[in-house]
Amino acid sequence: MDTDPAPTPKVQVQFVTRHADIAVPPAPILVPTNLKRYGLSQIINHLLDTPTPVPFDFLAAGAFLRSSLDEYLTQHGLSAESVVTLEYVRAVVPPKFRAAFQHDDWVSSVNTLSADGDAPLILSGSYDGIARVWNISGQVVAEASGHTAAIKAAKWTPNGAGIVTAGMDRTLRLWSCDPESSAITPLAELLGHKSTVTHLAVDPRSTHILSASSDSTIGLWSTTPATPPPPPPSSLLPPKPSKKRKTTSTTTTIPRYGALALLTGHTGPASAVEFDGKDATVAYSAGWDHTIRTWDLATHRLVDTRTTQHPVASMCVLPSLSLLAAGSTARHITLHDPRAGASEVAAGVLRGHTNCVAALCAGGEWMMASAGHDGTVRVWDVRAVGSGSVFVVRREGGGGEGVTGREKVFAVEWSGVGIVSGGEDRRVQINETPTGAEGVEPKL
Amino acid sequence: MYPEIDPVYDSDDTDAGADGANTIGNIPLDFYDEYPHVGYDINGKKIMRPAKGAALDALLESIEVPKGWTGVTDKETGLGVKLTDEELEMVRKIQMDENAAGYDPYQPTVEYFTSKTEIMPLSAAPEPKRRFVPSKHEAKRIMKIVKAIRDGRIVPNKPKEPEKPSFYDIWADELPPRPDHIMHIPAPKLPPPTHDESYNPPKEYLPTEAERKAWEEMDPEDRPKDYLPRAHSALRLVPGFNGFIKERFERCLDLYLAPRVRRNKLNIDPESLLPKLPSPQDLRPFPTTTATVYRGHVGRVRTLSCDPSGIWLATGGDDGTVRVWEILTGREVWKIQVGEDGEAVNVVKWRPGKEAAVLAAATGDDVFLIHPPIFDPETESATKDLLSAGWGYAEIVKKDPLKKEPPAKWTKPTSTQQDSGIAVIITTKHTVKHISWHRRGDYFATVSPEGQNRAVAIHQLSKHNSQSPFRKSRGIIQRVEFHPFRPHLFVATQRYIRVYDLAKQELLKTLQPGSRWISSFDIHPGGDNLIVGAYDKRLLWHDMDLSTKPYKTMRYHQKAIRGVKYHQGGLPLFCSASDDGQIQIFHGRVYGDLMENALIVPLKVLRGHKVEKSLGVLDVEWHSRECWLFSAGADGTARLWN
Repeated sequence: MDTDPAPTPKVQVQFVTRHADIAVPPAPILVPTNLKRYGLSQIINHLLDTPTPVPFDFLAAGAFLRSSLDEYLTQHGLSAESVVTLEYVRAVVPPKFRAAFQHDDWVSSVNTLSADGDAPLILSGSYDGIARVWNISGQVVAEASGHTAAIKAAKWTPNGAGIVTAGMDRTLRLWSCDPESSAITPLAELLGHKSTVTHLAVDPRSTHILSASSDSTIGLWSTTPATPPPPPPSSLLPPKPSKKRKTTSTTTTIPRYGALALLTGHTGPASAVEFDGKDATVAYSAGWDHTIRTWDLATHRLVDTRTTQHPVASMCVLPSLSLLAAGSTARHITLHDPRAGASEVAAGVLRGHTNCVAALCAGGEWMMASAGHDGTVRVWDVRAVGSGSVFVVRREGGGGEGVTGREKVFAVEWSGVGIVSGGEDRRVQINETPTGAEGVEPKL
Repeated sequence: MYPEIDPVYDSDDTDAGADGANTIGNIPLDFYDEYPHVGYDINGKKIMRPAKGAALDALLESIEVPKGWTGVTDKETGLGVKLTDEELEMVRKIQMDENAAGYDPYQPTVEYFTSKTEIMPLSAAPEPKRRFVPSKHEAKRIMKIVKAIRDGRIVPNKPKEPEKPSFYDIWADELPPRPDHIMHIPAPKLPPPTHDESYNPPKEYLPTEAERKAWEEMDPEDRPKDYLPRAHSALRLVPGFNGFIKERFERCLDLYLAPRVRRNKLNIDPESLLPKLPSPQDLRPFPTTTATVYRGHVGRVRTLSCDPSGIWLATGGDDGTVRVWEILTGREVWKIQVGEDGEAVNVVKWRPGKEAAVLAAATGDDVFLIHPPIFDPETESATKDLLSAGWGYAEIVKKDPLKKEPPAKWTKPTSTQQDSGIAVIITTKHTVKHISWHRRGDYFATVSPEGQNRAVAIHQLSKHNSQSPFRKSRGIIQRVEFHPFRPHLFVATQRYIRVYDLAKQELLKTLQPGSRWISSFDIHPGGDNLIVGAYDKRLLWHDMDLSTKPYKTMRYHQKAIRGVKYHQGGLPLFCSASDDGQIQIFHGRVYGDLMENALIVPLKVLRGHKVEKSLGVLDVEWHSRECWLFSAGADGTARLWN
């Protein structure tokens, strides 16, 4: 006769979630302590009685549960009699490489346009001064060449009808874009900055564009001719077009406009600028002077200055959490609450990059992607600050033409297409990220 | 009866005279009581007993003792011995403790010195005083004893210690160790005996026949051991040690001939020798890792400079190009070939001040003033105005025939050069190795070490004018720097750094770093401290208020130091770059308080540059604000560290 094995110790676990559609009763359940993520996920699936199993991930004490419950209890010095609160979320599937678009030069910025129903279009700005529009199958739909120096930032304008580019020639250029006929026509040249324009922000609710420049100013520009912007300062007009650079073939002169306002306040090069997620009249900017500044765009005033420890190289807004994520040149990402009542302390620090964090992009409610000069794109979950990055996306297609796979990544965007990134390896790389509800983990 | 023997003895026979003496020898006379004779004479004839009186005579004799009677019978004759009067008198005197006979105790006095006072004495010296006062010498001796008693060195009436037995205990342990003394070095101990010295060692220790033979054939001096292990079944079978004397002798020779030195043990806690320094973790930020590698130069990158706005980095290298890079991305933004036929760019330096962007680059004898076309039109026109303002002035000066020939010629570049960004070419007579801008940006100094008395030239931008400030050469000049805010010029020769006051035109101070060959130096933004790097691996910190000698010398590099730099943007950091491929970062805090010395903490060694042809890092420069460090390497790369 078989002897009964020793009964496994159990612990009371309370499962909570922030998603109402997958909520389970909040009463604590006795769960064997030797369970890991997979076992706990099965329990939740059982409780929810889902037709097909959905993988879940579990958060405990600000980090993903990666060991058994038993090890978690011993690590945190908890007794088996205490009630453990586990937050569960839909598990995220690792991003899968989908495509890479080869460029002639380094890719400095990427932006996707995903109109509903239509095939998404990817805009990339390159160091050769040309902005290209790609369709998802890797064909160049349109090219916008006119910049006399490298493009550092390129964005779709809100309605998807145009693009705005800016770069080392200190100008912003507005283009109208018609993907069907692959026609890009320059609309306007915006002058005002005295140094490289490093970052652009476009607000979908208004007709404003924000630009951050190395001359430590933030430019506020208008996209529509309905509100006529002031003419540019005459001293900033280029004396003559450079002969070496390939200029636009159009003989018609492009109208030149000045800025609605140049916001001064930064004491070092500004590196990033973003609109607030909820209020179109509030903008945030960050710079090498270690500060994150809040601007009131209605009055063009500096509202608040937050000083961090290191030069900030990138920033993004996490709209649902009212947080700002700032990537520093000192290899980490800090989370700040920009609201006036919040304390000065950073809400969290995400460590993992081994070089400057060059770009940040929010994806979903709690997720975020970051591009680093260490050649990786990392995916973070803001809820699990202690876990480090959730996934690390490396450069694909290394080995060709002297590409080592450790080239800097300059730009990242996380949209419906997936994680789109571009960098020193002259490629735009697309990694698919099926969201938790759609994704099916092979284990289950 | 035998005839009387005539012994025919000579008269020297002592006994011969004693004719008729008794010859019985040393036996008591009682033996002859029963015989009529008392012995024999020399002839063997009986000596007859003397006739004795009647018993009455004897009685009478006992009553009336005759004078001189002794009661002693002469052995030889058998007669009673009688003493003479003289003899009796002597006996009496002996008995009475009187003087012996013949000695007169009362002889008349014979005076040795006459008691009479002479009229003419031999010495008329008066009686000395010391005859009447107590003796000082005695008092001294007595005081010595008294002192010894008081000190306890002499203990009066000290009980005698019981005498120690004077025999020697050969079985006793070793003598108690002698008290430690500087002159006493104990003899080294012999090693204790091992197993093979046992009287009955285990078999494996016993030599085989071959070993024994080899040992015996070996020269006694070469033998590893002086003995062969031998086995004895019992201790009592062990024979005497025949080599004892020799062994003792050898040991004595060893002790006598071997020099013995006392080794002083340092009883110092090593921790206590280390200075109390703050932890590097508390002194952040400082650069720790490579952030960007600037690739593009062919051959060594010799020099670099970060522009005043902190966005661009200019480098110059062996390929004769000057390149401008975007700092964080490492993108080459602009480049120009200035060195003809492979002449290296020795130095690039941005002009301080943000209103204009001028890059000075030196290759060979020429210094190029360049305005890279990467700046906005406003800055560019300001730069052009600044650089071309002096052409008119130069024309005026040329007309003055009395003026000495200037050390450099200012010429306009060709139109192609103008298009590429070169605004002015200054041609000197020797290779320019270093450029230092004055903080206002109107003057800059160049150094051409081969130029002797014209090694240093100061160029004025606004007047297109060059002058050499020194009339005679004081050694091979390595570097010059302007004081950060005073009108002083620091000139480093191979051995010394001289500080000149440019306003008063006089020598203020001569610093003596004490190194053989100074490679570079930098002045602290506070102006009172400077660091000196030398080709003899030393990094020296000078506090000018303290002394002309270095305040601190740091020898942490394995190879020559090529460059030293202070952070000029407010962080208390400095660094040194060396041919061993390393850059060392230090925390160097200077206090405003004059009483407090500068705090120097080594923070980090940055490794990354490869050493090529025994050249490592050739130049370093700090970013103007951040704790970012740029370094130029012989491996063809420049690096950004943060």
